[in-house]
Amino acid sequence: MPEAPVLAQLDLELRNLRKRFGSFVAVDGVSLQIAKGQFVCLLGPSGCGKTTTLRCIAGLEEPDDGDILIGGREVTRDAPWQRDIAMMFQDFALFPHMSVAKQVGFGLEMLKRPKAEVARRVAEVLKAFEITPFADRKPASLSGGQKQRVALARAMITEPRLLLLDEPIGALDYSLRETVMIELKALQRRTGISFIWVTHDQNEAFSLGDHVVVMNHAKIEQQGSPEDILQRPRTPFVAGFVQGNNVFRGTIAGMVRDQALVRTALGEFEVPLLGAVPTLGSAASFSVRAERLRPTPEAAWHNRMTLTCQTVEYFGSVRRYILARPDGEVIKLDQFGAEPAYLRVGEEAVLGWRTEDGMLHEGAPA
Amino acid sequence: MSTIRIRSPAAYWLAVPAALWMLCAVVVPALLILWVSFWGGRQFSAASPLVLDNYTRFFGNQTYMNLIVQTLIHTATLMAICGVLGYCIAYFLVVKVRNAKLRTALFLAFIIPFWTSALIRAIAWVPFLGTNGVINNALMGLGLIDRPVEVFLYSRTGISMAQVSLYTLMASGPVVYMLAQIPPALREAAMTLKAPPGVVFWRIIFPLTLPGVVIGQVLVFLNVMADFATVATIGGNKIALLANLILNFYEGAQIRAAAVVSVILMACMLIGVVAAMRVVDIRKLGA
Amino acid sequence: MRSRLTGWALGTLTVGFLLYQWMPIATLSLLSFSGPTGGTTFPMNGVSLHWYRELWDASIMNDFKPPLWRSFVLALACSAVTTVLAVTAAQAMRGKFRGHNAFFYLLLLGIMAPGLLVGFGVALMARMLGVEPSWNGTAFLVHVSWTLPFGFMAMLAIFNRFDARIEEAALTLGATRWVAFQRITFPIVLPGIIGAALFGFSLSYDEFARSMFTTGADQTLPLAVLAQMDRQLTPELYAIGTATTVTSFFAILACIGSLALIRRSMRRG
Repeated sequence: MPEAPVLAQLDLELRNLRKRFGSFVAVDGVSLQIAKGQFVCLLGPSGCGKTTTLRCIAGLEEPDDGDILIGGREVTRDAPWQRDIAMMFQDFALFPHMSVAKQVGFGLEMLKRPKAEVARRVAEVLKAFEITPFADRKPASLSGGQKQRVALARAMITEPRLLLLDEPIGALDYSLRETVMIELKALQRRTGISFIWVTHDQNEAFSLGDHVVVMNHAKIEQQGSPEDILQRPRTPFVAGFVQGNNVFRGTIAGMVRDQALVRTALGEFEVPLLGAVPTLGSAASFSVRAERLRPTPEAAWHNRMTLTCQTVEYFGSVRRYILARPDGEVIKLDQFGAEPAYLRVGEEAVLGWRTEDGMLHEGAPA
Repeated sequence: MSTIRIRSPAAYWLAVPAALWMLCAVVVPALLILWVSFWGGRQFSAASPLVLDNYTRFFGNQTYMNLIVQTLIHTATLMAICGVLGYCIAYFLVVKVRNAKLRTALFLAFIIPFWTSALIRAIAWVPFLGTNGVINNALMGLGLIDRPVEVFLYSRTGISMAQVSLYTLMASGPVVYMLAQIPPALREAAMTLKAPPGVVFWRIIFPLTLPGVVIGQVLVFLNVMADFATVATIGGNKIALLANLILNFYEGAQIRAAAVVSVILMACMLIGVVAAMRVVDIRKLGA
Repeated sequence: MRSRLTGWALGTLTVGFLLYQWMPIATLSLLSFSGPTGGTTFPMNGVSLHWYRELWDASIMNDFKPPLWRSFVLALACSAVTTVLAVTAAQAMRGKFRGHNAFFYLLLLGIMAPGLLVGFGVALMARMLGVEPSWNGTAFLVHVSWTLPFGFMAMLAIFNRFDARIEEAALTLGATRWVAFQRITFPIVLPGIIGAALFGFSLSYDEFARSMFTTGADQTLPLAVLAQMDRQLTPELYAIGTATTVTSFFAILACIGSLALIRRSMRRG
C-alpha cells in the first residue's frame, strides 16, 4: 500500500484487534488500515480468523481488545445497527417471508426515510441490479444468481461506507462466479464504497483485491498488492499457501555480501538478504516461484539441482512439470503453454534460477 | 428408490389396516354422534325420527348459552396465557441459552412432566389450592393474608392455574421447532441493515415463528375445550364447562342432549382449526 | 450479549415456570410418605410408608390392583398393535399411494379429536351393535385410535431422517425390497420403533378421557383413581400417583435412551 494517508480519510482502521472464544484465539492482534474506496480481500484457510475479523467490524462479535474505527469514528462498542456498514452473507440470508422489493427497501425503512423516497429508491436499485421482474417474488422462488443480486441490492441501497462480504459467491455455481466477480469489481469502482471481501479462494482474492490480507492462525501473515504477495511471499506459510511456489527449508550456512547461503537437503543455495541479518546456523526457508525456474541454467547461475521429471500437467496457458525431490517432496516448474515442451516424463534435468528470484522468509520455518 | 415402490399396490395395502382402524374408532363414531343428536322420541333406536327438537331445547336454555360463552372465554384466557408464557420460554431456550447441556437439561425439565399422567398432575394441584393448602399457608406465612382465601380450590382461578401448567408446553413446542429453524444469519442480516433488536424481533423473528404460534394455539384450544378431568378434579362439582356437560348428560342417561353438546363442541373445534389453517399450512410443520 | 436484560427476564420466567410445573408433582410425592395420621395436605405428621401399605392391603372396595393389572395388559396390547400398524402405515406413506394425503389427515384426526367425544361415539356404536363396553374390547379399540397416530407420526419422523441411499445401496447389491427392508431398514430404525412402542404404552396407560364411556364395569387404573377422587381424596391416591409417575419416568428414560441410540447408529451409518 502507498503511504498511510491521514486518519480521517481512512474508511476502516483496526488497531490490535483480539477475540477469543473460550480457549480458542480467533483473532490475535490484527491491525489494518483501509484507505477510501479500496477493494480489500481477507484471504486464508478456514479457521484463520478472517470471518471473525469481519464480524467484529460488523459489530456481530464484540472484540476482547483493540479498537475499530469506521470513517475515523471509534465504533468498537457500537451495535451493528449503529455502524455505517452493510454486509452480504455467505448464504445471502434473505428474509424468507418478505418479497424482493420489501427486503431491498428494508434498510431505508430502518433509516426512517419517507415512504415515497423508499419506493423510488427501491425501483431504481431493482432496475440497476436487473431484478425488477422479481420485485413481488419471495426468495424461495429465485435462482442462486438472482438471490445474490437481491442480497447485494439489499446491502447497497443504503450506500454505506463499508460493504462487508463473507464468501459472497461461495454459494454460486462455478460458471456464474467469474461474471459476478467482474460485475462486483466494476460496482466497487463505480460507487467508491470500500469492499472487504472474505474468501479462502486465492483466485478470487488476487483477481479482485487492490489490497490482499493473508491471515493464518488468527494473525496477519502478510498484506499488500496481489503482485507483492504472489512474487514476494514473506513467510513460509504465505509461500506454501499461495499457488506456484517451491519452498526450501534448511539452515543458514554462510553470508556473502548481501546474500545468505542456505544449506538444504538438495544442496546449498544463494538467496538475497532482506533487512534483518539471520544468525549463522539458524533455521531458514526461502521460496522460488515455479515459473522462475529454468532447465539448462546459464553458467553464471549458482543455484542449480538435478531432478527427475515425474508428471507433466497441461493447463493450456501453462505446462507444469512435477519433479521428484530426494526428500520425498516435489519441485514445480512452469512453462508458457504455447512453447514446445522442455521435458518428458522420466527424463532427468538440471534446473536453476537467478539468485535474485529466491525469496528468503522472515521468522523460523514452520 | 426405496424398499417401497412409489404408488405400488403394496403401499396401498399396507395403509389399509391403520385406515380401517381409524375409520371405525374415530370417523364412524363421530358421524354417529351427529346422527343421534337429531333423534326424536325416547327410545334408543336407529328407527328414531330425525328432528331438531334436541337443538331447540338446548339453545332455548339460557344457562347452557352462558356455559358456551364461559367455556369460550375460559379457553381464550388460557390460550393467551399459555401462548405468551410458551413463547417466552421457547425464545429463552432456543435463542438465549448458549450452553447446549444446560439447554438440554432445561428442555427435559420442561417436557418430562408432559409425558406423565395428566390426571395425576391435575390431582397434584389439589393439596396446593385448598383453604388449608400450600399456597394459602405460604401466603399466611408471608403475612400477605391473615385468613385462608377460597379463590383457589373449586374455582375457575384454580382450574386455570393447573391448566396453565398442563398446556403451556403445547403452545411452546411448535414455537421451539420454528425458532430452531431460523438461521442466525437472518437476525444478523437485519442488524447490519440498521434494525435494532426490537425491530428484528417483530419484523423478522416473530413472522417466521407465526405458524408455530398458530399450531400451539390450536393445540391449547382443542385441549382446554375438551378438558373435563381438570375441571372435575379441581372444580369439584361446583364448576362445569361444556365438556363436563357431556359427562353429566351421559351419566343422566340423556344421550340426545349429550350428543347435541358433543356436536356443538365439535363444531367449535372445527371452526377453530379451519380458521387456524387459513393462517398457516399445518402440513409444513408435520412430517 | 447486548440484550442481557431480556435474557435474565426470560430466564427468570422460564425457571419460575419450571418450578411452578414441578412443585405439585414434588409435593404429591412428598405427601404420599406422610404418617398414618397425615391428611391430604401439610403437616405430614411423620414419615412412613403407611399409605403404600394401605394401597397394598386394600379392601375390595378400593383395591387398585386389578385396575392396575388391566391397565398394564391393555397398554401392552396397544403398544404391540400400534407398533405394527405404525410401521406399516409409515412405510405405506413412503410409497405415496393415491390418497396418502387424506390418509395423513385421517391419522392426524385421531390426535386432534377430543377423547371424551371419541369415547362417547364408540359407546353409541357399541350400543347399536349390541356389544357390552369392556376394557379389553371397546376400550382397546379407542386406545389404539389414540396411540396409533402418535406412533405413526414418530415413525414418519424417523423414516424422514433415515438416509434412503442406504436402501438403494442394498437394492443395487441385489437385495429384493423385502430383504432390504428386513436386513437394512428395520435394524436401523429399530431403536426408533422401540421408542414409539414405549410411547404408545405410556399413552394408553395414562389414558382416561376415551375410557370414560367405553370401559364398562371393570375399570382401568386412571378410571379407578377418578372414581376414588369422586368418593374421597386420600393420601393413597398420592401414593398411586407417585408410583405411576415414577414408572413413567423409567419409560421416558428408556425412550430417551433409544432415541440416543438411533442418533448414534445414524451417525455411524
